[in-house]
Amino acid sequence: MKNQLSIFGLALLLGCASPGIRNPSGVPVTEMNADERGFVTGTGIESQDLVAVTDQMARSILSTPEIKAFGQVPRVALDPVVNETRFPINQDIFLTRIRTQLNRQARGQVRFLARERLATLETERQQKRNGAFTSSSDPHRQEFKGADFFLTGKLQGLTTRTEAGVSDYVLYNFQLIDARTTEILWEDAAEIKKQGLEDAAYR
Amino acid sequence: MTTARIGLILGVGAMFLLGCASSPQRAALPRTGDPILDGWLAITNGPREDRVLWQYRTALEYLRRGESTQAATLFDETLAVLQGRFGKNAGARRSRSLFSRESVKPFIGEPYERAMAFYYRGLLYWEEGELDNARACFRSAQLEDSDSETKAFANDYVLLDYLDGLASFRLNGRGEDAFLRATDSARLVIPPPYESIGNVLFFTEYGQAPEKYAVGEFKEKLKFRDGGSTAIEMILRTKQQAIHLGAMDDLAFQSSTRGGRLMDHVLHNKAVFKRGANVVGDVAVVSGLILAQNRRTQDAGLGLAAFGLVSKIVSAATTPRADIRTWDNLPKFLGFGAIHLPPGEQQVSVEFLNDQREVLPEMTQSMTIQVNQPPRDTVVFVSQFQNNPSRL
Repeated sequence: MKNQLSIFGLALLLGCASPGIRNPSGVPVTEMNADERGFVTGTGIESQDLVAVTDQMARSILSTPEIKAFGQVPRVALDPVVNETRFPINQDIFLTRIRTQLNRQARGQVRFLARERLATLETERQQKRNGAFTSSSDPHRQEFKGADFFLTGKLQGLTTRTEAGVSDYVLYNFQLIDARTTEILWEDAAEIKKQGLEDAAYR
Repeated sequence: MTTARIGLILGVGAMFLLGCASSPQRAALPRTGDPILDGWLAITNGPREDRVLWQYRTALEYLRRGESTQAATLFDETLAVLQGRFGKNAGARRSRSLFSRESVKPFIGEPYERAMAFYYRGLLYWEEGELDNARACFRSAQLEDSDSETKAFANDYVLLDYLDGLASFRLNGRGEDAFLRATDSARLVIPPPYESIGNVLFFTEYGQAPEKYAVGEFKEKLKFRDGGSTAIEMILRTKQQAIHLGAMDDLAFQSSTRGGRLMDHVLHNKAVFKRGANVVGDVAVVSGLILAQNRRTQDAGLGLAAFGLVSKIVSAATTPRADIRTWDNLPKFLGFGAIHLPPGEQQVSVEFLNDQREVLPEMTQSMTIQVNQPPRDTVVFVSQFQNNPSRL
């Protein structure tokens, strides 16, 4: 009788066994470096690509002879990157990081113009001209600098999808263009290819 | 003694079945009748695997109300999931197992649903003036349609190719390749050349979403049903002009031309296993009980009956049912048209026509739109499911 009761109990327990919950207490926030490949990834443009590409471009720009040999400190304006890939991106983020890297690593070798703040700067200048704000120099003098170079770029992509998965190739191309002559003084590119395959449940 | 043993086996089986009984169904979320409130309730408190489904539905509702910021935020969250769906996924793996429903996997939708999430985000980027990001969305949307079983129906959204080309045309004067693809795929109306496209873009939608349903002995086969539409054409009227807009794409067609899924094979195998285990169980239980009546074959008979019982239990626990969760507030037809209007306030009305080319007065909409200064386009979203067209 005891044996029979034990068997009943065991059967009930086995039946009740649930598959269990993974990470029942959740997963704490994991801090990662921006150039690190995380555990949440796709085939698109990600932070590690941004860091790798912009680091390469910043180094490449600084070693350009035209920049080194420019008579005075060259003034550079940013022209938004053209995105021809299938991934929506923040168009400013690549140039922002290149600018930051250049300003950090080569302070004084190149100067960037804050064209995206032009509206605010013009208002400030107008207020000084009107006498509403004080000014440390003659506000009527034209001191807004023109650009010697434009830094811009283009992202182009190639996508393949087969039963074996999705493959995305992205070409990151950047140029420094002479504003006076339209000559491309510097150009460099980086390529990144990624492949992925989703779970069969989604195919 | 024999009867006692048989009783023991049946009793153990019954207890196992009781233990196997699934946990109680989750209580249904309260509904307020407001799709936005209900959507947020489901996003925040509903099953995690349905989160993207509710984000799709709620984002589209925001879009139809002209609340583009909220719509964009929600669509961005869904696109992040769509673009990061590669590799291991515990829910997806579980949905392939014999004893779990397909619907335990996190919902991302069938290709036509995923394509629509990209499409709507593309419209919002267009309105924001980010044409290259809009084009990126249309390209990703078209890619979602690229894994159809027969390649004849792959990448065949007319509107997505057309808008891809139009964005390129606006950006750099080129878009011929995409335009050719669009005209090649056209089945309903031939899209107009880019040179004639005006500064006010009307993105239109009408008809009911395709419905998903399951057929087969165990509801293991996913099928799609045309949601239908009373309206089949639209007329866009301004003070100066009236243009007819037909549909460029039909989501019922897109949903049904994908062909078989890999998951259909998994579900088919589950169904075969379920059927087989049940038959084996029937045979083993009956044979075992007959053998158990004879003292000489009693032990073998009881063993066979126990095996049969286990086989039936396994069969009962196997769940081949197809996932029929649906993004149900999608339209059937997608259309597009553009007109030239001067900047400033403009009156526009939209009429829907039935298959007899008669105006459906109850569906007529009118609005005042604020046309942007050139060169920026003005994007107007016209849906049958809103009271008035909305300037995004």
